[in-house]
Amino acid sequence: MTYNLNCDISNSFYRLAEVEVGKHLYWEIAGFKLHGQVFIVSWLVMLALIIFALNGTRKLNQIPSGIQNFMEYVYEFLQDIAKNQIGEEDYRPWVPYISTVFLFIFGANWAGALIPWKLIQLPEGELAAPTNDINVTVALALLTSISYFYAGISKKGISYFSRYVQPTPILLPINILEDFTKPLSLSFRLFGNVLADELVVSVFALLVPILIPLPVMTLGLFASSVQALIFSTLSAAYIGEALEDHGH
Amino acid sequence: MTNYLYILALQIAEAESEGGLFDFNATLPLMAVQILLFMVILNAVFYNPVAKVLDEREEYIRKNLTQASDILAKAEAITKQYEKDLAQERREAQLIISVAQKEAQDIVALEIKQAQKDTELLVNEATSQLNSQKQKALSALEDQVNTLTEQIKSKLLSNQLIS
Repeated sequence: MTYNLNCDISNSFYRLAEVEVGKHLYWEIAGFKLHGQVFIVSWLVMLALIIFALNGTRKLNQIPSGIQNFMEYVYEFLQDIAKNQIGEEDYRPWVPYISTVFLFIFGANWAGALIPWKLIQLPEGELAAPTNDINVTVALALLTSISYFYAGISKKGISYFSRYVQPTPILLPINILEDFTKPLSLSFRLFGNVLADELVVSVFALLVPILIPLPVMTLGLFASSVQALIFSTLSAAYIGEALEDHGH
Repeated sequence: MTNYLYILALQIAEAESEGGLFDFNATLPLMAVQILLFMVILNAVFYNPVAKVLDEREEYIRKNLTQASDILAKAEAITKQYEKDLAQERREAQLIISVAQKEAQDIVALEIKQAQKDTELLVNEATSQLNSQKQKALSALEDQVNTLTEQIKSKLLSNQLIS
């Protein structure tokens, strides 16, 4: 087609700055189709984070030194996200979830922004931040939904559902709708931001392949970390909302 | 340049036909499971150990703080006791000093009195001895006077008798 023709014309330099949207490296396992590029990068991100954590917690002392300080700082930062949103009493069991979501999104976004994946050629699709795949963000958002339902029901039992008719039964449809809009907004916010950032950088690189994309890349780096913070904070807020008492 | 933008647009348009942006498949549940697994691993290698260390440190600091305040209170009590004892001792010392002074004064006064008495005694003795010797001398003189008068008288009488 025209696409192939144009592709042949474009030299290798422009191929480097090419944008590939919606193309995936398909793996097929037991008849199910998977997006291979997402898994490859996510495994690398997880591996890096696990190695980092292992390295940081290998030798923990009463008096912290070296990397232990940093690990404790990270942990307290993540703990504070959960504590501020969920509250002093119930936050403890939710620290792992909130922290993992933050670390994963943060790691994935930064991996996508900092590592020149374009240098690695795939038969189809391209390596990029795993969070620019809608499957990943929806998976994360659904996990958050399940988490807050679980949190609410495990704490209040069936009376958790009484919050749908509060403060008045008139709001029942809106309250029910909220359970659908929450994961929707969470997943699309993250997906949209990461994808848009990568597209902007790619388009800039396509137009002016030197220096000009740098400020946008820096902004993208900043936006990536903000997205991680937003996702984990909102997750914690939803869980906290499900856990809080309505004063009855 | 517009050519490449055109390629981009084409790519996006084409992408939607095969796969595309909103291509949901088994990636979603597998990714969710993977993230949960990741959470379990990180919980084991990161959150739990660090939380344990932080809790232990907090516990340690709290324990030491209470211990320190206990020790401080004890030290204050001891200081108070010491000051009380010191005042007590000082008072006792003062008392002993004044008693000793009084005793010394008494002894000195007694000695002085004794000495005065002794001197007086000595003086008295000397005076009485002097008096008795004076008496003796006087009586001896009187005797002599008596004998002399007797002699004078007898001489005078004998002279008269002769004549």
